[in-house]
This record gives sequence, structure tokens and C-alpha cells, in this order.
Amino acid sequence: MIWFLQTAVGGLSIGAVYALVALGFSIVYRTMGLVNFAHADVVMIGAYVTVTFFLTARLPFGVALVLAVVLTGALGVGIERVLRPLESRDLNLMLIGTIGFGIVLESVAILVWGSTGTAVPAPIPNVPLHAGGVVVTTYQLLIVAVSAVVMGMLYLFLDRTKVGTAMQAAAMDRVAATAMGVNVGASNALAFGIGSAIAAVAGAMVGPLLYVSPGMGASIGIKGFAAAILGGFGNIPGAIAGGLIFGLIESFSSGQLSAYSDLVTFVVFAAAMVLRPTGIFGERTADRA
Amino acid sequence: MIRIGIVRPLAVAALFAAPIFMDRYTAHVAVLALIFAIVAVGLSLVMGFAGQVNLAQAAFFGAAAYSASILTTQQHWSPWAAAPVAILVATAMAVVCGLPALRVQSHYLGIVSLGLAVAFSSLLTNARFTGGASGLFGIPPIELPGVDMTDDYNFYYLALTALLAVGAFALFVANTTLGRRLEAMRDDTVAAAACGIEIPYYRLTAFVLAGLCAGVAGVLYAHFVRYVSPDTFSLNAMFLLLAMVIIGGQDSIWASAVGAILLIAARNLLSGIQAYQQLVYGALIVATVVFAPRGLGGTTDLVARRLGIRLPRLPLPIPRPAAPLPQAVPARGRAAGGTALEVVAVGKRFRGLNALSDVTLEVAVGEIHGIIGPNGSGKTTLFNVVSGIYRPSGGKVRLRGRDVTRRRSHQLARLGMGRTFQNLRLFRRLTVLENVMVALDRDPVWEHLRYVVAPWSVWSLERRRRARGLDLLRRMGLDEVADVAAVNLPYGRQRQLEIARAVGGDADLLLLDEPAAGLNAAEMEVLKSTIRQVRDAGVTVVLIEHNMGLVMSLCERITVLAHGRVIASGSPVDVSTDQAVVEAYLGAAFEGSKAV
Repeated sequence: MIWFLQTAVGGLSIGAVYALVALGFSIVYRTMGLVNFAHADVVMIGAYVTVTFFLTARLPFGVALVLAVVLTGALGVGIERVLRPLESRDLNLMLIGTIGFGIVLESVAILVWGSTGTAVPAPIPNVPLHAGGVVVTTYQLLIVAVSAVVMGMLYLFLDRTKVGTAMQAAAMDRVAATAMGVNVGASNALAFGIGSAIAAVAGAMVGPLLYVSPGMGASIGIKGFAAAILGGFGNIPGAIAGGLIFGLIESFSSGQLSAYSDLVTFVVFAAAMVLRPTGIFGERTADRA
Repeated sequence: MIRIGIVRPLAVAALFAAPIFMDRYTAHVAVLALIFAIVAVGLSLVMGFAGQVNLAQAAFFGAAAYSASILTTQQHWSPWAAAPVAILVATAMAVVCGLPALRVQSHYLGIVSLGLAVAFSSLLTNARFTGGASGLFGIPPIELPGVDMTDDYNFYYLALTALLAVGAFALFVANTTLGRRLEAMRDDTVAAAACGIEIPYYRLTAFVLAGLCAGVAGVLYAHFVRYVSPDTFSLNAMFLLLAMVIIGGQDSIWASAVGAILLIAARNLLSGIQAYQQLVYGALIVATVVFAPRGLGGTTDLVARRLGIRLPRLPLPIPRPAAPLPQAVPARGRAAGGTALEVVAVGKRFRGLNALSDVTLEVAVGEIHGIIGPNGSGKTTLFNVVSGIYRPSGGKVRLRGRDVTRRRSHQLARLGMGRTFQNLRLFRRLTVLENVMVALDRDPVWEHLRYVVAPWSVWSLERRRRARGLDLLRRMGLDEVADVAAVNLPYGRQRQLEIARAVGGDADLLLLDEPAAGLNAAEMEVLKSTIRQVRDAGVTVVLIEHNMGLVMSLCERITVLAHGRVIASGSPVDVSTDQAVVEAYLGAAFEGSKAV
């Protein structure tokens, strides 16, 4: 039982990160019906930017995180701006464009930070707390707390602000939203920006858990994708649930299977898609003709 | 059908002559380029033609290479015995990757395939039987009597032969019925299904084709390099492949192959600045999709224009009355009598909203039946339910007395239901003739086995279908634009083409969704005569229309919908004087004026 709880704690903390990655995919998908393949590498860039400010510039972690969120968010807006001409023409081409951006980001990371990667120390004293035989570290608690705050802010933004409502309107009907004075281009750019900003948080938080390297995007990204789909693509609560589920799957399949965690992830989500294509909570997307 | 021209034979001849000018190192690189060209051809089929994002092509390639290596080094099979098995493994993997296609939206396939690629890499680097990160060594060369296949020059000709064979097969597929169906699916999934195409199977077929090409290339790679390692088939390799096909031009087999050869050449020229290579590929992919979406292959038109070569010009959009249509389905025609379509108590709910409730109507064989109603009254929803795009929440739909309530779009098309769409859904990049040929083509999926068993019979079927298509276009007054891409037609003609396509597949029930929208007066007259001719050919017509003049003059019976319910039905005269109809359109009379 204690082993079970202990494994669950580990799974939930990494799962919170996957949930953040999944949220980034989902917000772009529900706004424009686009799968942003560059997202995984944006997470990686976010991680590197945080590390650079935190370790190289020796800024406090919180400041480094905020700077990374701003810069990475701007990067997302930039990606959307370059690909905007394809928005109303061909989403498939746009999707390939995002793959192209992913390749560019990864190679930029190799050129700037080298291909070997960096280990990151935890930003707060990593004290193990004991609760009924289960060990929880303070950093794990921090990850869960930060993720929860981000999720809450995203929810409030989408549901309670005018801009968020306008974004949802643009997602539901481009033309009608335009007629009501919503700038759909800006709304898409905002979706990319917010998605990338959340990606930066995910990257920053996962750094001390894993190893920050240019190739880290592929593995985290695919789990984020899988989480977003498992929960129902474009569905915000679904993305969170999906992330936590994949964190748990990974945690429980570690041990002899750890080398194959990507394989396990793939098998689970391929099976899930065949059994329930719209995910657990149903899909939410911009357009379905 | 396939215009060969002069450039392509010259290019092939140059490929045969090229080794004369190559040193040993160049020949080695050239063989790699040919092998990658084969993989790229497969990727072009699945992405460019079928429009399915496939990020596992490098994994299929690797599956074949590793299978060939394992069978020949660990099981000591002969390379020739191992080759078919290896190709089969790659194809099987493509099937596994494509399986979710049977259930899900196509953009998920990109993610599934990416997941498969990542999982495959992790398997290669971690499993013992794949030799882990260091890979497998000592793969034997291919045995050919009297030829030394360890010699790069000799291998060059083997690889070239394979590329030409795979390329010829790919071109054959691309220019005949299978390729046309894949392209129709890419251009418009909903319309393709309405033309009788079983979308999921074609997605899967596209993956199988990609897997076959990757399989052939994988076998060649294993026996050429004679060493396999996970790096060769990693995500980076996949991105290189993607760059080849996107930069070359994904919708052309030739351009994709050329893209592969160019990028392999570039990779070797740039080998000194390895770190920047990937940056360049990525940036080129982004630049290509934004500025030249059709890749280098698509720029030939621009170059031709620059050089002053005149491209065929569009005929002026003069509408022409259609010639009589052949008796489409005499046996099922008007003489047979009875009802063509029965809708019984159909309801459709979207979440909380009742779009249709208790809709009942009956259309007699040979009738022109109008469906009218204010905007939002559920007319198009009704069509979508009848044509199998939506499942009704309740009620029954019968086609010539047969219950078809839960049939899918493509099944209904094969039962003789043709439809058009309110906002035109043509196969944009196909020509006018090809659009019609997609509809004329009612062969079941398994007929595609002909490609393997009796390829020549595909050609003869194709010739017959082409003749029928041209005949239909002539009768519809579209023959002079037969070779124009549908997207380039003037609007009125696009409407006309959509009707031609809907009638084309031996439809005996035609659903027209606002066929007159946006037409000018002259085009409207053509439309009227077309609809009458379609009916005279034995086809029952149901049309949704806002143009009252058209409805009143054409239709024999009219059903009026408001708020998802039938509020009136009968002859045009009955309906136009019906109190409920007048109220639905003009609003209720004032309280005060009622007394008068």
C-alpha cells in the first residue's frame, strides 16, 4: 500500500508537468483546430531559457521562470505570425510548418546550448516530508502547486475575462466572431502565446526532475500529446486528467520497463484512441463541418 | 493521362549514365540518394496524395532494414529470402500505425505516427536483438550471380532499377482510380464519402503504400551499407525525409524523388557544417510551406510563365444549356413507380438543441421535390441526416422502401444517392474530368487488388471510365473545361460540376442543397434545364432552395420546414397560400389586423 502511494506521488508530480504540456497543445487545438507539432520543442526552449537565467545569470528561480514565460510566449506568437498566411488556406500545411519550426528550435538549442544537456538543481531546498510512511519532497509539492495555479489562471482567463470569451467565440465560429469585432488573427496569436507560455512553465518545472537537453522535447512532447488526446483533444479538464494519467502510467511502469516508457505510452494511447477516439471527456475543437 | 514530355526521359537517361562521372565516394552517396528517393516516393503517396500526415516513414524504413539484418545475420537466411519478409514487416508496421485511422480524425494520425516513431527508436536502442545503440554489423551483401554486389557502381544500378520500378508503380497508382480516390479524400473527406469512398480504408491503404516503399528501400539499405544503427532511423532521419518531400513537392512523385536526391547531395556538400544542417532543413520546410506550398515541383509553372511558355487558358464562362442526359437508370426509373425516399418521424438533437423533430416526408419516384423554410429551419440538417453524414436521434429513413437509417454516407452513395453541398465541396485540386471520374468509380475497395494481380485491367477500366466521364461532361456542357482544376473554374461552373458529380455515380436520387445560390439569371436557366433533364433521365430530385421562383416553377411538391418541424407540404399553390407558411416567412399578422 505504501509502495502504491509512493509510486502515485511520483506519478502525480511528473503528471502535473505532462498536464501543463497537454494544456498548451489543447489551447491551440481548440482555438484553431491545429495540432502544434512545435510545442514539444517550445517546452524544451522554455526549460533552457529558465536554466540560462537561473544558473548562468544567477537570477532567482522565480524571476528566471517569469522571464522564460515572457520570452517563450513571444516565441509562440512569432511562430503563429510566420505561419499565419496558411491559417485559412491549409491546416495540413500549417501543421507541417509547425514540424519545421520544431526542427529549427531543436537545432538552435544544439547550436546555442550544445547537444550534451545540463543537470539542474532544485530551486528550493528539496526536503523530504514524511506523511504516513509516504515520502513527498518539497519540490514535488511545488510542481503540483505551480501547475494548479497555472491551470486555475487559465480557467479564469478563458471563462471570466472578455478576451478569453472572445477567444472561445473565435474558436467556435471564425466568421461570426469576426463580424462581432473579434480579431481572429490576434486570438490565434494569443492562443499560441499562452500555449507557449504554459510550455515554458512546464519546461522550467520539469528541468530539475529530468535532464535538460535539446532532445527532451520528443519524449515529454509525445506524452503531452497523448495526454491531450486521452482526455479529449481541446478539452481543458481532459488535458489535466490525461496528463495525470500518463504520469501515473509512467510511474507504475518504471523499473524493468523504464527504458520502454515511450513504447508503453504509445501502446496505451494508440489503444485508447482505437477504443474511444474522442477521448475520455470528448473532443472540443474549432471547426467540424 | 500521364504526360511524359521530354525532361523526364532525359532525367532517367542521365541517371543511367551518371556513374561514369562519379568517383567511388560519389557513387556511394548516389546509391544512398536513390534509396532515400524510394522512401520519399512512399511518403509522397501518403502525404501528398492521400493528405495523411505520416511521421513514422523512417520507422517503417528502419523496420525493414532491421528485419533484413536480423534474418540474415542471426537466422542466416539468404538476403533474397529475407527481403520479402522484411518488406512485409515494414508494411505490417504501417498497418498498425494506420489502424487508428479506421476510427479517428486524420490529424490524429500525425500524432500516432510520431508516437510510433519515438517508440520504435526507444525499442531499437534498448532491445538486445537489435544490437542496442551500437546496431548490427556484418550484414551480407545481396547475391547476384556473376555480379559483385559489394561494388558501389553495381549496387547503383540495382538501386536505380528499384527506384524506377517503385516510381513507375507509384505513378501508375497516382494516375489511376486508387490515386484519384486518395486525392479526393485529401481534398474533401465529406464529399469523397458522398461519392461512395470508404474513407477509413483509404487512409489505411495510403499507409500500406508508404510502408511498401519504405520496405523496399530498407532492404536495399541494409545490404548496401551492411550496418544498421538506431541513428539512421531516428526522428532526425524522419525530419530529413519530410524536408525532402516538402521541399521537392509532396503532390508529385517525381518532385519528391528529386527532392530526396537534392537533399542527400546537399547533406554531403554541407557535411562540414553538420550542426547547421538541421537548422537549414527546418527553415526550408517552414519557408516552403509558407511561400511555395507545392515545393520545387510547383515552381515549374512559374518558371514556364517566366520563359513565356503559354499555359492553357480558361475558356470564358459562358453557360451552355446541357445536352440530354442518357437514361440514367431506366430499370429504376419513373416507370417503376412507388416512393424514392421516405423520411419517417426523424429527429436530430445537438446537445440541448432540437434541430429536427418529428420530420416526415415522402418523395415519389421521378418527382422534383422542394424543401423550403427560413434560415435555420433544419433543411441542411435534414439532408445531412438523409445522406448519412449525421445519425438521426430518432425516426427512420427509407430509400425505395429499404430502411437505410443508420447507413453511412459512402454506403448510401452506393445505393444510388447523390448529393451536392450548400457551400461547394469539390475536389479542388483534381480536374473537372477527374472530379466526375471519382463519382463514376463505384468499384469496391477489394477491386484494388487488380493493381497487384492484373495491372493491365486497371488501364482498360480507366479508359472506359474516362470515356463515360467525358460523355457526361459533354452532356452537362463542361467538356471544354475537362482538364481544368476544379478550383480554377468560375463559380457557376463549379455548381454545375457538383451536380454532374452527384449524378455521375448512377444516382437515382439526387439531393441538391441550394443549387441556385450565387448564380446569375443566365446560369439559373441552365440550372433549371439541367435539373429537368436529370429528372427526365429517371432521377428523383430533392432540392433545398431559397429562390422561390425556381422552387415554384420546378417542383411538383414542396415541404416547408420551420424550427425543425414540417409546417406544410403539398403542391406549390397549396403551400404558397398556407397560413402557417406565410407566418413563418413574414411573421404573424398583427393582433389588430386579425379582426379585419
